[in-house]
Amino acid sequence: MSDEATGQSNGLPSKKVLGLFALAMINVAAVLSIRNFPSMAVYGWSCIGWYIMGAVMFLIPISLAGAELATGWPEGGGVYAWVKQAFGEKGGFTALFCEWSNNLVWFPTVLSFIASTLAFALTPALANNPWYMFSVMMIAFWGTTAIAYFGEEASTKFGNVGVILGSIIPAVLIIMLGMWWMGSGQAIVLPPLTLEAMMPTINFSTLPFFATIVLLFAGMEMAGFHALETKNPQKDFPRAMALSAVIIVICTVLATLAIAMVIPASQLNLASGVMQAIEYFFKAAGVPWLVAPMAVLITLGGVVSLAAWLIGPAKGLGIVAEEGNMPPLFDRTNKYGAPVAVLVIQALIGSLVSLLYVFLPSVNQAYWILSAMTVELLCIVYVLVFASVIKLRYSQPNTPRPFKIPGGMIGIWLVGGLGIFGTAFAFIVGLMPPSYFTTSGFVYVGSVLLGTFLLAVPPLVFLKFKKASWLKKPAGGVR
Amino acid sequence: MSTYSRLEIGLFIFLVVVVLMPFVLILGIVNVSPYHQVSGEPVNEAALATGITIVSVKDASWNLPGAIGGKTYVLTDSSGDTVTVATQSFDSADSRDAAVRIYNAQSVGKGKPVGSLVVLGQHLVYVTPAHSSILERLAPELKKRISL
Repeated sequence: MSDEATGQSNGLPSKKVLGLFALAMINVAAVLSIRNFPSMAVYGWSCIGWYIMGAVMFLIPISLAGAELATGWPEGGGVYAWVKQAFGEKGGFTALFCEWSNNLVWFPTVLSFIASTLAFALTPALANNPWYMFSVMMIAFWGTTAIAYFGEEASTKFGNVGVILGSIIPAVLIIMLGMWWMGSGQAIVLPPLTLEAMMPTINFSTLPFFATIVLLFAGMEMAGFHALETKNPQKDFPRAMALSAVIIVICTVLATLAIAMVIPASQLNLASGVMQAIEYFFKAAGVPWLVAPMAVLITLGGVVSLAAWLIGPAKGLGIVAEEGNMPPLFDRTNKYGAPVAVLVIQALIGSLVSLLYVFLPSVNQAYWILSAMTVELLCIVYVLVFASVIKLRYSQPNTPRPFKIPGGMIGIWLVGGLGIFGTAFAFIVGLMPPSYFTTSGFVYVGSVLLGTFLLAVPPLVFLKFKKASWLKKPAGGVR
Repeated sequence: MSTYSRLEIGLFIFLVVVVLMPFVLILGIVNVSPYHQVSGEPVNEAALATGITIVSVKDASWNLPGAIGGKTYVLTDSSGDTVTVATQSFDSADSRDAAVRIYNAQSVGKGKPVGSLVVLGQHLVYVTPAHSSILERLAPELKKRISL
């Protein structure tokens, strides 16, 4: 294999298997989720305003920042490599670890979604059985880990097919049915479209929703973890960012509006689940037989989303280990170049957490606190990424960047500043407990902050005990 | 077969323990909500007790296994704050807890789910928006009814 065709990772050559489409699909898999549509459809026309807010405060900034960083430093590790360039190993490792550890909190929720959606296609009552739930969750989790075990080529093929079948086709189907609904003269439950109707209501009650909206598009940096396997990172990353952003926005906004036009807000009882809303939609559209196949496709979409988040940060942690920042125990790779040690440790911890999630369900408030921790950890990642893109313009102004955020220093401050403002604000409002909480506000905030701290601090401990003998290869991910 | 130093094994154990610690701590501090029969209509009674106006009440049935019916209330207070509160009773602890899992599994993106879910004995109470002055006033009354 020629030098151009290989990168270096884990001491083994990495196959350059990723092109523009595959990179874009990684981001689409991580971000586009049918789960979001009914939740956002409740807001009617104002979902457009919320989406615009999310796009301006986060999607556009992270896409631009990711494109500049990925083309300027196309190294293994994604956010680790980027933040390390700006703030050193501590910053880079912390950013990456937060990206990895927030998944441990999130895995049970997406696994539970996968199991309950599959149950809907089979026999909905299965969702009441904790053993069914746990079994399916484990099959999905360890199955996805097994796909990651076979390296980039296998996971890319799975991701490409899965994201089209499980995310894009269901979204397009919903959009087409919505268009048919409009075209066939059926009653549209939304009021007439006006500029005022599109404006989101911002007040104390809706403020915490802002944090949710900002992180609605979290995951746009996921392709950056696959830099070593990318054929032409300088050219493909910016285009992949743009392509994935367009697909995500079009599918999300139109599919949400399609649901909002067909299902009255009063019927969109979100407590009863996404599939119930989808069932209502398809029954109203006269195609009830599509519900079960849709449930299977949406299940697949959940698995693909899980895979994107499971593989990317684990690969990053593998790079950190191979640079000698973690003991060799974490630096085990297989012949496919997959970081098996990290994948297995991740799967073991994730399985334990899922066990708690399924078998201790009467602690509803604990789930809320854990969701809040996911938000806080992700905000740390993104604040560091946005701060890095700004700092690197000053500290490494001459590093070639095939894609540069336009507008010079004003542009970089505008984009990075918006991103920092959005994520920092999301961090603060993410600490607000819901009005109904049996624990005191102090206990709630303390729990969220303590949990976030514990899930963010291990890199500092690893770096404190770092030994020269842990280093297997030169830093940077590329020899 | 490689051997690992005590430091490496210690760091591995540290990682596993520190990562699991938040889950254990949080499960330790929050109140569990055991399944038991709460009589009457808790939301209706709590609204009346706190002087919150019930604008409308409708019967509601969630399309979930084990759901046996409930109400959807629209509540408002003197400041004009309005919330929608949906209640549903479940026929068993398993079906109620499955509904709790389903709700928590549908977060928006990687954030939180929309609204707030309250567990009251055999009832689930879904409130949207999750933050409001009405819910703050209702909360103490609802908590009282858990133990009734």
